[in-house]
Amino acid sequence: MAAKTDLDLSDPVSIKGTREFDAPVALVFAAFTDAKHLSQWWGPNGFTTTTSHFDFRPGGTWRFVMHGPDGRDYENRVTFDEIEVNKRIAYRHGGGDDVEPVTFAQTVTFEDIGGGRTRIVWHGVFPNAQMRDFVIKEYGADKGLQETTARLAGYVAAMARS
Amino acid sequence: MPETDRLNATFAALADPTRRAILARLALGETSVQKLAEPFDISLPAISRHLKVLEHAGLISRGRDAQMRPCKIDTAGFIGVDHWLEEYRKLWSQSMDKLESYLEVMKAQQATSPAPTRKSRSVKRQGEGHGRKD
Repeated sequence: MAAKTDLDLSDPVSIKGTREFDAPVALVFAAFTDAKHLSQWWGPNGFTTTTSHFDFRPGGTWRFVMHGPDGRDYENRVTFDEIEVNKRIAYRHGGGDDVEPVTFAQTVTFEDIGGGRTRIVWHGVFPNAQMRDFVIKEYGADKGLQETTARLAGYVAAMARS
Repeated sequence: MPETDRLNATFAALADPTRRAILARLALGETSVQKLAEPFDISLPAISRHLKVLEHAGLISRGRDAQMRPCKIDTAGFIGVDHWLEEYRKLWSQSMDKLESYLEVMKAQQATSPAPTRKSRSVKRQGEGHGRKD
């Protein structure tokens, strides 16, 4: 099955994905702006979402629990940094109210590609891009690390082919 | 998820340049704390504190020798990051599939309610999206 999502994983600590939709940009953007809409599509297959707080504006947060198919719950928090209507949403995504939650800075851009169609590009970067340099530069010295890096490389290659 | 605490610890550990330098040194091979501390202009207790953080993050392991406690790279922390990336990829790819289906629902709703109604409130809300930054 051909992947409809184009993923660029050339950088192990960032993910860039592109996807086109047969819907006008205002509608696609709207699907991101309301918890009622988000709950209908957010998350991997089999996950459902319960929102406790949703404030879609710069500085606002979206707090929600993702219910996994295995019955486990995952606290999530999204903080909206920048919002440009029908153009761009920049936010940080992390766990719940941990002391040092893992946060992943993410930007989603919306592009009107004509004919009532829309292209979305999402781009996420780890807070520590240096990790990439470390993994790439230092892998040769340690077999285990080499295997991890090889898996990353294989994964990147597989994604590039799909 | 159980890995989350470990992942938080891994990111926090990697956020510090001294700790990354320690990891880079350890990537060359196992070594004692004293040897490890030599190139750094900080006290041995400070190095020990950094090592504790790295150990907790699953990025290094310490030998049993009570005198030396040699340090070496541990891949657990790195593998955790790899898994996390995989989960993230899944989240987005599958979310996009679901969004595609849901957009059909939204289009159908829009077609049956040409006048703005409760259903399309979110579309109207776009006009309010120009948030003010303090």
